[in-house]
Amino acid sequence: MPDTPKRYWLSVVERDTPEEVSRSLENGDPEFAPTRRSFLKAAGFTFGALAASSCRAPDVDAIPYVQQPDGLVPGRPLFYATTCGACEARCGLLVTTRDGRPIKIEGNPDHPFSGGSACAVGQASILGLYDSLRLQYPTKAGQRVAWADADKEILATLDRMKQEGRAVRVLTSTVTSPTTAAVIADFLSGFANGRHVSYDPISSAAILEAHAQTHGARLLPQYHFDQADVIVSFDADFLGAWISPLQHARGYASRRRASETSPTKSYHVQIESRLSLTGSNADRRLRVAPGEVGHVATHLAAKIAQRAGASFAAAGLTPSSFDAAIEAIAERLWNARTRGLVVSGSQDVQIQTVCNFINQTIGAYGVTVDLSRPSFQRSGSDTQLAELRAELARGEVGALIIAGVNPVFDLPDAATLSNDIKRVPLVVSTAERADETASLAHFVCPDHHYLEAWSDAEPVSGLVSLAQPTIRPMHETRAFIETLAAWAGKPQPALELIRAHWTMAVHPRAEGGLPFTVFWDRTLERGVAEVGPRPGAGAAPSFNAAAATPVLQPGGTSADGLTLVLYSKIGMLDGRHGHNAWLHEMPDPVTKVTWDNYASLSPETARRLGVEDGDVVRVTADGSSALELAAFVQPGQHDSVVSIALGYGRAGTDRFGRVGPPWFEARPRLEPVGVNAAVWITSTENARQYAGRAVTVTSAGRRRPLASTQVHHSLEPPGSTERRPIIQEVTLAELTAPPAAAPAEAEHPAGHVEGDLWPDDHPLEGHRWGMSIDLNSCTGCSACIVACQAENNVPVVGQDEVRRNREMHWLRIDRYYSGTDDELEVAHQPMLCQHCEHAPCETVCPVLATTHSEEGLNEQAYNRCVGTRYCANNCPYKVRRFNWFDYPHEDRLQNLVFNPNVVVRSRGVMEKCSFCVQRIQENKIEAKRLGQPLADGAIKTACEQTCPAQAIVFGDLHDPNSRVTALAASRRAYRVLEELNTQPSVRYLKLVRHERPAAAAGGEGRNG
Amino acid sequence: MSKPITAIVLAAALAVSLVTLVAAIRLPGSNQGYEPVQPIAYSHKLHAGDLQIQCMYCHSAADKSRHAGIPAMNVCMNCHSGVTASMTAVRQEEEAAKKENRAAQTIESAELRKLYDALALDETLFPISDKTATPIAWKRIHNLPDFVYFDHRAHITASVTCQTCHGPIETMERVRQYERLSMGWCVNCHRDANENGIAGKQVKAPLDCVTCHY
Amino acid sequence: MADALIVGRVPLIAGNKVSADVTRDVLSALDTKPSALWWGGLALSMSALGLGTLAIVYQISTGIGTWGLNRTVGWAFDITNFVFWIGIGHAGTLISAILFLLRQRWRTSVNRAAEAMTLFAVMCAGLFPLIHMGRPWMFFWMLPYPNDRGSLWVNFRSPLVWDFFAISTYFTISAVFWYVGLIPDLATVRDREPGTMRSKIFGFLSLGWTGSFRTWHRYEVVYLILAALGTPLVLSVHTIVSTDFATGVVPGWHTTIFPPYFVAGAIFSGMAMVLTLMLVARKTMRLEDYITPQHIDAMCSLVILTSGLVGLAYGTEFFIAFYSASPYEQFAFYNRALGPLAWGYWIMVACNVIIPQLFWFTGVRRNLVVVFVISLLINVGMWFERFIIIVASLQREYLPSAWSDYAPTLIEITTFIGTLGLFFTLFLLFCRFVPVIAIAEVKGVLRPAHGGHAAHDSHSGYSDAVTPEAPRS
Repeated sequence: MPDTPKRYWLSVVERDTPEEVSRSLENGDPEFAPTRRSFLKAAGFTFGALAASSCRAPDVDAIPYVQQPDGLVPGRPLFYATTCGACEARCGLLVTTRDGRPIKIEGNPDHPFSGGSACAVGQASILGLYDSLRLQYPTKAGQRVAWADADKEILATLDRMKQEGRAVRVLTSTVTSPTTAAVIADFLSGFANGRHVSYDPISSAAILEAHAQTHGARLLPQYHFDQADVIVSFDADFLGAWISPLQHARGYASRRRASETSPTKSYHVQIESRLSLTGSNADRRLRVAPGEVGHVATHLAAKIAQRAGASFAAAGLTPSSFDAAIEAIAERLWNARTRGLVVSGSQDVQIQTVCNFINQTIGAYGVTVDLSRPSFQRSGSDTQLAELRAELARGEVGALIIAGVNPVFDLPDAATLSNDIKRVPLVVSTAERADETASLAHFVCPDHHYLEAWSDAEPVSGLVSLAQPTIRPMHETRAFIETLAAWAGKPQPALELIRAHWTMAVHPRAEGGLPFTVFWDRTLERGVAEVGPRPGAGAAPSFNAAAATPVLQPGGTSADGLTLVLYSKIGMLDGRHGHNAWLHEMPDPVTKVTWDNYASLSPETARRLGVEDGDVVRVTADGSSALELAAFVQPGQHDSVVSIALGYGRAGTDRFGRVGPPWFEARPRLEPVGVNAAVWITSTENARQYAGRAVTVTSAGRRRPLASTQVHHSLEPPGSTERRPIIQEVTLAELTAPPAAAPAEAEHPAGHVEGDLWPDDHPLEGHRWGMSIDLNSCTGCSACIVACQAENNVPVVGQDEVRRNREMHWLRIDRYYSGTDDELEVAHQPMLCQHCEHAPCETVCPVLATTHSEEGLNEQAYNRCVGTRYCANNCPYKVRRFNWFDYPHEDRLQNLVFNPNVVVRSRGVMEKCSFCVQRIQENKIEAKRLGQPLADGAIKTACEQTCPAQAIVFGDLHDPNSRVTALAASRRAYRVLEELNTQPSVRYLKLVRHERPAAAAGGEGRNG
Repeated sequence: MSKPITAIVLAAALAVSLVTLVAAIRLPGSNQGYEPVQPIAYSHKLHAGDLQIQCMYCHSAADKSRHAGIPAMNVCMNCHSGVTASMTAVRQEEEAAKKENRAAQTIESAELRKLYDALALDETLFPISDKTATPIAWKRIHNLPDFVYFDHRAHITASVTCQTCHGPIETMERVRQYERLSMGWCVNCHRDANENGIAGKQVKAPLDCVTCHY
Repeated sequence: MADALIVGRVPLIAGNKVSADVTRDVLSALDTKPSALWWGGLALSMSALGLGTLAIVYQISTGIGTWGLNRTVGWAFDITNFVFWIGIGHAGTLISAILFLLRQRWRTSVNRAAEAMTLFAVMCAGLFPLIHMGRPWMFFWMLPYPNDRGSLWVNFRSPLVWDFFAISTYFTISAVFWYVGLIPDLATVRDREPGTMRSKIFGFLSLGWTGSFRTWHRYEVVYLILAALGTPLVLSVHTIVSTDFATGVVPGWHTTIFPPYFVAGAIFSGMAMVLTLMLVARKTMRLEDYITPQHIDAMCSLVILTSGLVGLAYGTEFFIAFYSASPYEQFAFYNRALGPLAWGYWIMVACNVIIPQLFWFTGVRRNLVVVFVISLLINVGMWFERFIIIVASLQREYLPSAWSDYAPTLIEITTFIGTLGLFFTLFLLFCRFVPVIAIAEVKGVLRPAHGGHAAHDSHSGYSDAVTPEAPRS
């Protein structure tokens, strides 16, 4: 497929050139001495070959179905509603399949969490389906074994355990599937000493424990960010990787859109020690040491209590250096009352109780904090986990069944753990891949990829969804519940198990009294159903204020010692997607670094240690081995903090050494991607701790350059204080001020300029495609990047190529900092081809490979491109991407994920965002076919379709009623580099700030 | 005397050979006239021509999808579960049977047998238990490069006849590529359609690169 | 009588040569066995050429990614070398065409070599637009030809297309001009020892030159016409090359000063290269009498002139940037002088503007070693000029998020070395097999009586050039 014209001719010539010619041409055999005769002979042959080749093309087979499946039309996609299995949030998906294979994951529009959008991880998880390193059959001690035999032996051993009354443990991550939970329970009921232990690799146990203390019920509340006017987050990265990011992001974004008509916007305070994605969106950000968080929270609680006429931590509360700020925040929070929301990502139960106190005092419970329909997305118990570890240590466990978790990787002190596990008589893992834990198991009974399996989920009480297979299982894998049912002695197909459980436990909760089959079919079609809350969970527990224990003084950090903060990245989460190249290459939304984890240090600290980006540092924590990883200088991070992402250093990730082009200067990375920071996790009695550990950092004197897609982070170029008007901002006040005050277009000449040299050589009739991107809603979550990659067959180039600034993403998100480290402001700007009306790239292409369409698209004909790269040089937005090499998939199986509607580009040609022209064409043709007008919003570009914040709107600028036309007229609308008169079709909507921070007061550069 | 003559003869010969040469050369990649042997000697002349079966009876996706689609074998069986041989063959058998006054047995044409074999059907057209049906690998004739996205839907909607691109298919015993199907050929047709419309209907046939290349 | 004429004038050709001497001296190179030095040079340059060829083969078979380019910097070594070589070429055309039309008689000794240099330089230059493509095998799409794509032409708005036209035209004219100039000398060689292989070959090449008055007359006319044709090329070619940048929106490229600036730069660098080559040839081939200090002197003065022009252009760029009040434009030049490639920028300024000023001193102009060194430095400086214009501008464009750096790979460097190899290989061969000095023309400037095709010139044979003995006031 790549470079088709070339292959098309050459292969033809090759195939049709008479044998002897080609042979003799290769190894110049004697008969081919350059005499006149032989020359003529050769000429004759070659000409004959050419002539012949020009007549015939290689035979291609066209193979029809024997029995064409119902409803399947060749070339037309089918969509299946299912449930995401990429993390425990369990959002709803709509999976596009072509000819029986899933090619794209999108959010299920009917699902309250996703409402059509999907996060980066969810979308990328489709690549995992086609991963050839997935386990393809059950193994015993690494040797292939038939399912029947495996079952027989395992059953035998289990029976022995039963006789001996040995402990049988099923270790899983949080189980959101009611059926799975039931099956596990059923399985364990057969054993005298059987228990189900679940833990979350990234634990939120403290929240549950805190509620157990303050509300008498071990619950994880459901947070309604869409109800919150004032959000105070203590180190909770709720837009990033915290509990249910997509749900949070959508809710959050719904309160962030400010327009002239409704100039309101929720006020978001982030109090954190590192710069998280969430923090980068905050209206007010306090940079505090990890130890101080609780203290600040207590101060806030005290001030709130005082306003409520109650009293909290009245005695012995040491003053805080942030008092003024806290006062202001308390004021806002108090004014918002029930519309306020305080969340904390801390694993310190004490802090969580303080947050509960605040939420209770302002009356947030029942409004923004929902205990009546709690979340089941993080129900793991670190206490149980600790017990299990103790049991293992004591060698009491007879059989250990591990499903969906990878403790040897997730947990600290892995060496001891694996030794203890080795001592267990029967260890069975159902891992999809040969991970760290599976390698210790006697039996590995691989589970399906979730796109192959029947399953169900209840992420929050009363919201049930079904997962249906989108492809026939590719390998000899078996669904976990089938496996467990088999070992419980009652083997049944997963579908039956689920139906059975639903008839029994789910259908009764459904309102409307539909017969089961109808309820089932509707749920299956829609993918999700709202039913009554799960019995036993929820209700409105009483609040016990006494249980809220204040933090009276900040936790001290040693003089110059640094504090470690472990966090999970939006792309990598807990590392379960370590096999996914798309996610490794997706730049971190904040640091813009790909393919690695690193030790982030504040600029001040970096200066003090004398390290800069890419210097390898040795991080040592008392009592645990030192690790070496690259340093990264992170503005806005607290000076006492070293922050490192979890989920890296997975065994087997050294496979990515093969990704990227092989050539003699290539420096592929052969060791695993990143290092596993889990070794530094500590545990208190009821929660695993990710922060607070004292570490020392020293330079290792080596360098390992990070593969970053953005190296310059400010809009003020060196030697200049003039801020480039690429990001433009207004304040809420200016938004409502009379037009004269801040007219959007005033800064730049709009539309057609006087004395324009451009000929009107591209008449625009009919449609005129345009896009609008709301910088104010965009959170930088990067879902659009993966959406674009999946939709447009964008290749993965590997770490070395990214280091060489050759990433291929058609859509990137630029991130700019402004202000000081304490008053840091961050702006995210999705940057893609602007489809300029006067495109600089079009004038310079010598071969007319890039031209202007009648509908205002800047079209790129890959098969015409000769690769002079002149267009890329001349593109002011630098959105053109060049195929420096052939960038094939890691293995051929992954070619199944290709979108058949988009050409796979070959080496040596330029490519770029096409506004998803394949979707435009599809919808235009379909509308014509049905004789209907093309409705606004019918065409959704991949990025628009998936954006959780709905920041992107695509449409027809010639349609006076389209949304883009309306937005283009908005006072916030501006076009990047408008002064160049490139007349982009993409309009950005200015970032709306609550007020102008002191740092950038009067900086007229901000408004352009 | 002879010199000028030979010169002229040579010149003429040269001219002729040059002309024939130029005529012989086709642009690389053009498959015009490609007419491969198919696994089953299916006759479009018989079905589409003589029997007047609509194109879209078999190529049913043509108006709903980019691909017209090669009919699945169950489509063939719609008729050929009953029709197992040509009428003439059946008649002959009947007459023969009448002469020998015996019951006429079913005649089965050799070509159709290939279809039945592929479907794993026995003489009585019942599935053979231990065999599974295997699809027939037809030779693809109209094969555009991978970087071209042709959409049957759009053209059918614009009431372009099948013959416009596929030629007089109803007259072909064995299908061959009738037109050049080169970019120039497409573009000129689009230009022409914009000028003169299709079937008297005014149409807008886009000429953008992205009409076919994306 | 003759002596009287010499008063106050310095003969262009030293050592009272007569025609016979000229022929002998110039052609000696063709007769004598090549010196070890020559062999050494040839070996060196040919191995360089070999390396370069390998690099190019590797690059084309593996991918353009074997160059150090990236999403931000799409051109670097490739186009730098292209402009560099084209520039070198210009001096040849200037000397052979313009100076001929201006009746600068001192050119006679150097024009043959200069033209050869042009030819070889253009060959090197022409290579890069081809190999810098992502898909070089599709290069012919750059040419407008009837096709079956209904019909798809080239983009006549793109300077690259005009580059192709310009280079091919330039090469053709230069080649023809050079060859026509050669004809009389080829005949001379032919007539020296009839019957030998060489005389046969040269006889064939000299197209039956008789040396009759009519032949000479026709020759004169043709030569004049070709010179007239060649002259505009000196301006047009580099003007077109400069539009590759001037028509771009890249800050640092997008400026109207480029055409004259590039032409001046081209002649500047070309002159430097002529000096380099001639000084070597003069020494190694014992042509001191033909390439006299005053030839060098004359060229040095041209270098000063063009160096001044170039310096002026540098200054103007900065002024315009400041005057434009465009932050992007201003930063582009801030970045040149103080950015990551500042070192390159200052090398360029030093070599192109400051050092050539030494040529104001007669002592420097007369000290051939110094002249040689300076001429080399100028070549370096001019290479950096192009490098800075291209890379430093692309590096730091409008969107800070897209800023990136550039470092060449081994392949790029080797490719450049390869073109140097190609250039010197050809030049060395040229020195061996073709008269390096236009015998006929030189004869024309020996003495009035020995009229070559310059006979009509009243005071031919005497330098009007600035000379220390008779400085022009």
